[in-house]
Amino acid sequence: MDMGIGLWCLQSTSTNPRSFGQAYQELVEDARLAEDNGVHSLWLSEHHAYYDGYCPALMPAAAAALAATENIQIGTGVLLLPLHEPQRIANAANLLNEQSSGRFHLGVGMGYRPIEFEIKQRDMSQRLKLMNAGLDALHSATQTPTWVGISSEKAAERAGRRGLGLFISGAFSKEVVNTLIRAHRTAWEKSDPDEDTPPPVGLLRNLWIVDSQKERRRALDWVRSSYLVYAGLGWGADNTGVDFVSQIETSMDEVEKSATVGSAEEIAAELDGYDVDLVVCRIGYDQPPRSALTEVIERIGRELAPLVQDSGVKL
Amino acid sequence: MRLLLDLRKISEPAERERLAREADEHGIWGVVVTGPRGGECVEASALATTTQHVTIVIDIDGNDVHPTTLAEEISVLDQITKRRTMVIFRGPSTSKTSLATLLSGLPCEGVILSPPPAQASIPVHSPEDIPETNLPEDMAQLATTIDQYRDSQTAFLIVSWARSIKELARHAVGRSASNDFPQMVADMADQIDPIDQ
Repeated sequence: MDMGIGLWCLQSTSTNPRSFGQAYQELVEDARLAEDNGVHSLWLSEHHAYYDGYCPALMPAAAAALAATENIQIGTGVLLLPLHEPQRIANAANLLNEQSSGRFHLGVGMGYRPIEFEIKQRDMSQRLKLMNAGLDALHSATQTPTWVGISSEKAAERAGRRGLGLFISGAFSKEVVNTLIRAHRTAWEKSDPDEDTPPPVGLLRNLWIVDSQKERRRALDWVRSSYLVYAGLGWGADNTGVDFVSQIETSMDEVEKSATVGSAEEIAAELDGYDVDLVVCRIGYDQPPRSALTEVIERIGRELAPLVQDSGVKL
Repeated sequence: MRLLLDLRKISEPAERERLAREADEHGIWGVVVTGPRGGECVEASALATTTQHVTIVIDIDGNDVHPTTLAEEISVLDQITKRRTMVIFRGPSTSKTSLATLLSGLPCEGVILSPPPAQASIPVHSPEDIPETNLPEDMAQLATTIDQYRDSQTAFLIVSWARSIKELARHAVGRSASNDFPQMVADMADQIDPIDQ
C-alpha cells in the first residue's frame, strides 16, 4: 500500500493563528519535503466561509504544489462537488494532469454544512442529486483518477457501482472500515465491470509515529483537539453512534480509539489488517509545532512507507 | 503606463513558463494568462511558483459560475502569488460587481471571503478597460506606438511581443513609464550589451 499525507486545509485557527501567506508557502514546502522523503501523495481539503480560512478553492492550491514538485501525487480529499460547476472542475483537473504528467487525483464529496450551500445558492436537500449529476459530468469530461469521499455503506455502494475509488473518512474503527470496503467491492462486482481490478480504496487515518508513551499521549491530544475544528464545522461521522457536535468529549474518545499512534513497526502491523491501496496519514492538525510536523512527514516516508509497501495493492 | 505581456496565445506550457520567468527577471510589470473555463487560476498558480515579482493577470470567464466561487479561487490565488494578482473579467456585469466587492474584502449578500485576498483589494477590469496591441519589431515604430498609448493616459497596455523579453524591457518599459525616456541610453545599452534574438 502507498502512504500519503493529509489533510492540508490552509487554515489559521484560533489554536494556531498564522498568516495565510505562510500557510500557502508551507503547503509548497511540505509537498517538497514529502516528495524528498518518498511519500506517495499529499491531500488537500475544502470548506467554505469558515472563520479560519479553511481552503475554499483546492485547484489553485493543488497547482502550486504540483508546480513545485516532480514526482509526488497531489489530491483533493475532498472537493465538495455539489458546490461547484462540474465542467469547470473537469477542465481544471485535466489542466492539472497535463501540467503535472498525471500526478493529480480528484477526490470529491457531498458536503454537509448548510451555510456552504446557502452562499452558493444550492439546495442542500438536493445534494445527492447534484453529486450524481456532477459525477456523470466528470465521467464524460475527464480521465482524472476520481475518488469519492464516503462515510456510509450506501455511499460506498454508489461509488462501487460507478467504478470510482473510495476515500474513507478517518474516524472509523477497523470493523466499520472493512464493512465499507466490502460494500464498495460487492457493488463494483455486481456492476459487471469492464476492468479486471477493482477501483482503489484510500483510507484516511489519524496517525502519528512516536517513540515513547509521553509522545504517544501528546499525539493523541493533538488528534483529539483536531476534532474540535470539525465540531465547529458541524461534522459528524455516520456509523459511530456519536453526535460529534453536542458530545464533543465522547466524540474525541471515539476518535482516540480509532487513532493509529505508535512506532513505525506498530503502525505497519496495524495497517496490514486493512485491504486498502492507499493510507492517507492525517497529520495536518493545527496543534503540533512545525518541527513535529516536518519530522513526522520525514518518518512516514523513510520509516513507515517501506514497511507497508508490500501490503495491499500498489496504485 | 504599465505593460502586460500577453501569454494567452502561447500554446506550449513550457514556453509560457519561460516567458513568465523572463518577464519576472527583466521587470515587466505583468503577464496575462488564461486557461480553459475553470482552469484560469490553475494556470496562474503554476506560473506563480516560478516567479517572484511579476503581476499575474488572469483573463477569466465568469459566465455560468457563481461569483463567490470565482472570488474564492482568485483569493486563494492571491495568497499563492503573494499579492501579485489582477483580474480581467468576462461575464455578466452583476457578477463583476459582486466579484469586485468580494475581492475588496467587503461582504456581498452576506458573504465575506475567507481567506481574504492577500492584497487590500484585487483589481478587477473588463476587457474593454485595457487595450491590446502587437508591438512592432522596428524600434522607431515601437517607440511611436508606446508614446501614443502612454500619452493618451492608458493605465495598462497588453502587448504581444515575439522578440527578446530583455529587449522589450530595455526599450519599452521605461518609455511606458515616462515621457522623457532617454532613448540614447537604451541604444547605448544595445551596443554595450547586445541582445541575442
